[in-house]
Amino acid sequence: MSAHNHNQQSNQFYYEGDQSKLYSGIMAHHTDVEGTESKAQIKKIWRVFWILLVVTLVEVFIGMKLSHSLNKGLIITIFLGLTLFKAGYIVAIFMHLGDEFKDFIVTVLVPLVLFVWFIIAFLMDGTFWLHMNNTTPSRAHVEQMAHSSH
Amino acid sequence: MAHANAATAQETKAWGGGRSPYNVSYGKMMMWFFLLSDALTFGAFLISYGTTRFFSSVWPDANQVFKSFPFFEAYNLPLLFVSLMTFILIMSSVTMVLAVHAGHYGDKKNVTKWLLWTIVGGIAFLSCQAWEWTHLGGECGGLWGCFTNIQTTPLSTFIHFYDPAAPEVQHVLSTQPLVGLQSTHNFFNYFFTITGFHGGHVTSGVVFNILMLVNTVNGTYERRGHYEMVEKIGLYWHFVDLVWVFVFTCFYLL
Repeated sequence: MSAHNHNQQSNQFYYEGDQSKLYSGIMAHHTDVEGTESKAQIKKIWRVFWILLVVTLVEVFIGMKLSHSLNKGLIITIFLGLTLFKAGYIVAIFMHLGDEFKDFIVTVLVPLVLFVWFIIAFLMDGTFWLHMNNTTPSRAHVEQMAHSSH
Repeated sequence: MAHANAATAQETKAWGGGRSPYNVSYGKMMMWFFLLSDALTFGAFLISYGTTRFFSSVWPDANQVFKSFPFFEAYNLPLLFVSLMTFILIMSSVTMVLAVHAGHYGDKKNVTKWLLWTIVGGIAFLSCQAWEWTHLGGECGGLWGCFTNIQTTPLSTFIHFYDPAAPEVQHVLSTQPLVGLQSTHNFFNYFFTITGFHGGHVTSGVVFNILMLVNTVNGTYERRGHYEMVEKIGLYWHFVDLVWVFVFTCFYLL
């Protein structure tokens, strides 16, 4: 194709290209929307919807009724566990990451390992600041000034 | 031996250009990498929120802050409204994935239908957020930068955000009101920043969806031969839902 001969259609080609060959498995182009494969896929989507809904309702129930009576560490573990559970379903099924090549899944997920270090480092820092705030003598001094100014 | 050499040559070629080793189109792969960077941004916000919360000896109680529902402001309905918002967002994620599914089959009618429902869901979520911001803004006397002065906002203006049944919290508030003031200030600044950043993502997602709806109805994707654009924006939309799952946990549950 000559570079000087761009009509509207070739521009469209360069913009998106014919990438239909790049799809495989579930990403491949299908024709029969009423077929069994399509119906099974739609059923799977709705099943994930119900899972997400039920897990959210359980979270809200725990948040409303149990969050003050249960052990704090246990509550945090439960909430973070359920959150990651929901996130996994959204990424694997709704975003179809589970249907991609394994190498691509690894490429996308590995950088997120940084979060493990981020969370540990920053929360430890927060805990240390709290310790400093509560033990530093100037804190009591500041509070006293606030009281006496009333 | 010759076979082994042939196999090696083929493997080298997989990354030598002109191929798609991941079997993913360029646009979709770049959308994934953009979402990865966006995840780090949201992660930075939420971890910063967590750090601040960890160094505060008291922190507002979600069941006390978020207990109002439109038209039922007089009742104590903790977490109910945000549950509705979460439901709307999950629902719009389902309609989006159904649009993507219809796109795989080149089913123009269903892509149009499900995109339309996704737009409705996105606008409904934004309307809920607008109400929540207006409501909390009214309680704080503004959005960002409230609760900075103990003279103009004394303990009585923010004590109702804290758990009344926790004696250790109440003790800190009564003996060190400045600590409570600072925590309330931090809590609302983070709340408006993070939910605002998320709401901004929802807003641009709605705009993208409207543009895609126009293109679908005009037959742009049909002429192009595939609905990959629906897939790419679908990834973005699900990511916004994904972020909400974490925001929901960090702000409303923990």
